Amino acid sequence: MATTDKALMAHLLRRAGFGATFGELEHYCRQGYAATVEYLLHPEEQPGIDEDFIERYYIDWKESRNIEGALTETVFRFNANAASRPLQEKIALFWHGVFATGLAKVLHEKTMLNQMDAFRSYGLGSFRDLLVQLARDPAMIFWLDNNFNHRDSINENWGRELLELFTMGVGMDGQPNYTEEDVQEVARAFTGWTIDDDNTASIPYGKVPWRFRYRPEDHDDGAKTVLGETGNFDGEDVIDIICKQPSTARFISRHLYNFFVADDVQVPAWQDTPAADPEAIRLLEEEYFRSNYDIRSMLRALFNSDFFKSEDVRFARVKSPAEVVVGTLHLLGDFKFPKVGIFDAALECRYMNQDLLNPPSVEGWHTGREWIDSGSMVERINFVADQVGNPDQPGIRAILDTLLESGPTISPDALVDGCLELLGCVRLEPENRQQLVAQIVRGGEVRTDGPGHRRAAEEAILRALKMIGSTREYQFA
Amino acid sequence: MTTPTQEMPRSTAGLYRYHDVIGLLSAGGPGFSGPVSLALGPDGLLYVASRANPNQPEAVRVTRCTRDGDYVDQFGHWGEEPGQFTWVTAIAFNRLGELFLSDEHTNRISVFDTQGRFLRYFDPPGGAEFQLNRPSDIAFDMQDNLYVVDSLNHRVRVYDQHGQSLAGWGGYGGGEGQFSFPWGVALDAGGNVFVTDWRNDRVQKFTADGKFLLSFGSPGEGPGQFNRPTGITVDADGDVYVCDWMNDRVQVFDSRGGYKDSLIGHSGVSRWARTFLDANPDIEEKLELATQNIELKQRFYRPRSVLVDEDGLVYVADCYRHRVQIYAKLAA
Repeated sequence: MATTDKALMAHLLRRAGFGATFGELEHYCRQGYAATVEYLLHPEEQPGIDEDFIERYYIDWKESRNIEGALTETVFRFNANAASRPLQEKIALFWHGVFATGLAKVLHEKTMLNQMDAFRSYGLGSFRDLLVQLARDPAMIFWLDNNFNHRDSINENWGRELLELFTMGVGMDGQPNYTEEDVQEVARAFTGWTIDDDNTASIPYGKVPWRFRYRPEDHDDGAKTVLGETGNFDGEDVIDIICKQPSTARFISRHLYNFFVADDVQVPAWQDTPAADPEAIRLLEEEYFRSNYDIRSMLRALFNSDFFKSEDVRFARVKSPAEVVVGTLHLLGDFKFPKVGIFDAALECRYMNQDLLNPPSVEGWHTGREWIDSGSMVERINFVADQVGNPDQPGIRAILDTLLESGPTISPDALVDGCLELLGCVRLEPENRQQLVAQIVRGGEVRTDGPGHRRAAEEAILRALKMIGSTREYQFA
Repeated sequence: MTTPTQEMPRSTAGLYRYHDVIGLLSAGGPGFSGPVSLALGPDGLLYVASRANPNQPEAVRVTRCTRDGDYVDQFGHWGEEPGQFTWVTAIAFNRLGELFLSDEHTNRISVFDTQGRFLRYFDPPGGAEFQLNRPSDIAFDMQDNLYVVDSLNHRVRVYDQHGQSLAGWGGYGGGEGQFSFPWGVALDAGGNVFVTDWRNDRVQKFTADGKFLLSFGSPGEGPGQFNRPTGITVDADGDVYVCDWMNDRVQVFDSRGGYKDSLIGHSGVSRWARTFLDANPDIEEKLELATQNIELKQRFYRPRSVLVDEDGLVYVADCYRHRVQIYAKLAA
C-alpha cells in the first residue's frame, strides 16, 4: 500500500541504508512502507555490482595490497550498492563494527575484504551460521590468535572475545554471563581451527587470500563443560550452546537497537546499564528465539515496530563517518561507475575517525557522540559542504533543476524547505531553519526567469545546500 | 621459430612451449605493478606499461627491459599534466618509433620518444561528439593510421598520422558491427581489424574501413569461448591471440576464428624474483606452504595484453601477477 509519509520512508532508508535521493523516496513511497521493508530485507533478489567492471577499471582490487586500497574498495561497494542493495551493505557495516577485525594486525587486505563479503552473504541470515563463518574466517582467526590455539597449548583470545564481545557480553542485569573456566573450555573446542598460511608478502607475485584449515590432529576432542553443558564439543557445538543463551539474545538485540534505532551507552556499560527502551529489546529478544536466531526476522520486527517509526528516534543517532561519506556520495549520484577519485573520498572516513577495516581495537568503534570531536566535526562539515555545493554532481544538478523549474520566483521559505526535502527529507530544529531562511532573505529575491537570474538563483540554492550540510541535524541519521 | 625442448611445459594443444618470465611486483625499478600493455620498441626493447593505482602513484610507469629480462629504465609519472598519465590502458609504436599511450582517465593519447620524453598529445579534431570516452586499446596499421577503441562510446575510430579521421564504426549492441564495452584491437598483415568485444564475449573481424567480416566466440569457459576478452594480437602466420581475461588464459585461433590452442601460464621464477627470494628466504618458505602455490607461481591471473615478436615468442602481460610470461611458438 502506497504511503505519503516520505519523512518516515527517509528515516527507514537512513537506518536500513545510507539514505535515499528524493527520486528514490518517491519510488519507495509508491511501493509502500511494508513492501519497502521486504525489499530491503532481501537484497539477494536485486542486481548487485557488475564485478567485471570493477576489475576492469580498479585493477588492483582483486588482490588489494594496501590498507588504503581496501578502505577504498569498501566505500565504493557501500556506495555502489546503496540504491539496489542498501541493507546488504548496512548490515556488513554493522557486523564489521560488532566483530571488529583490523588490518593493523591482519596485514592482509584481501582476506579482510573477504570477511566483509561474508558479512554481506551471511549478515541477514541465521546468527548461528554467521558465527560459524566467523569462527572459520581467516582474518578473525589471525586477529584473535586462534592459529596459535593448539590442543596441548590453548590460546584463549578467540574464545574470550567470542563470549565477551561477539555474543553474550560480560554480564546482564548486573550478573556475569560466563566464567573464566567457560573461556578456557570454549578455547579448547576451537583448537585445530586455523589457516593454511599467514603469508603477508606481496612480492614477488602479489597477495593470495588466506584460507581456513581444520587440523583434526591439533583438535582437543576431550570432554568439555561450557555454560553448564558437558560433552565432546567442537566449535560448532559451542556456538549452538552460545546461541541458546538469553544473554546472547539480549546482546544482539541491544546491538541492533543501537545501530538501527537510537544511540545507546557504549557496550562495556551494558552489564550494569539497562536498555533505554526495555520493551523494544524484549520484542527483539522474543523474535530472536521465535525465528531460531534469524537476523532478517529480527530486523523485520524492528523496522515494522512502533518504536522504530516513532518521531522520538528520528535523527536520534549520530551518523558514523561511513554513513556521512557514503550517504553524501549516494545523494550526489557519484562513483556509481568506476572512475578515478574514489580513493580521496574514501579517505574521508579515516579523517573523520572511522578507519574502515582498521578499528581501534577488537571492541570496535565507540558510537554516538563519541564520533564527534573538534577535528572530526570540521572534517564532516567541510566534506559535506564541499560535495553538496558542487553543481557538477548529478544529484546536486537534479536538485538545482527541480527548484529552478518550480516557478519564476522562489520564496526564501520555499527555497530552504525545498532543499531540505530534496536532500532526503532532512528536518531542522525550527530555530536553525529560521536562521537559514534569514540568510536567504538577506540575499534578496530569488528569481529563476532569465539566465542572469538563474545563475544567481543557482548560487542561492547551492549556498542553502551547503548550509544545510553544515547543520547539526545533517550529522544525525 | 624456436626449437622445442623436453624440459619446458607445453600449451594445451602442444603448439607452444613455455619459454621464460620477466617480472615481480615492484613500485619501481626492476618489476611491474599491474602490467596492462606491452610493445616492442624500435630499439628492440620490451616496453611494459604498469597501471598500478591512485594510492600508489609512484608505481604508474612504462618500464623498458630486454626481451630476456635485463632491466633498462622506466619513465612516466602519475597525474593529469602533459606527459603524465593516470589510468594507462595501452601503448603502441608507430613506424617513426614514437610511443603512443592511451589514458582512460584523461581520455587522451600521449606521444613519447623512446627515452620517455613527452612529445605531444595525439589530438584528433572534432567537437564533443568526437570526444574519446575511455580509450582502451590502440594499434597502428602499416600506413601508420591509428586505430582506437573508444570503449564507453562502443566504437572503433581510425585516424591518419595527422589526426584526421578516416573511419569509425560501432555503436552499442550485440549485432554485427556493434559492441558492448569493447577492449582490444589488432590488425593482421592484410589490414583486417580484430576487436575484442568485451561484454559480448566475442571477437569481431572487419576490413580496414569497418566492414564486418566475421565474428567468433561466445560466453563460456570451453575452447573458443570467452569470459571478457581483453588484449589481442595477430602473428606473422595470421594466427590470432586473445587474452581470455576472466578465464585466465590466452586462446589462439586461425584467421577465420578456428580454435587452435590455449596458454594457461607456466611461469617459473623470474630472475628479478629469484634475487628477491634469495634475499628473503622466509618469504619463499611461506610461499612454498601456500596450498594455492601452483596457481600463484605458474598460472595466468587476468592476462591483459599479448604480443608476438619476429622470432615467434609470445609475450603475455600477466596483470595480477605482475609479470610477463613468454611462450615460444613451435615449428609446425
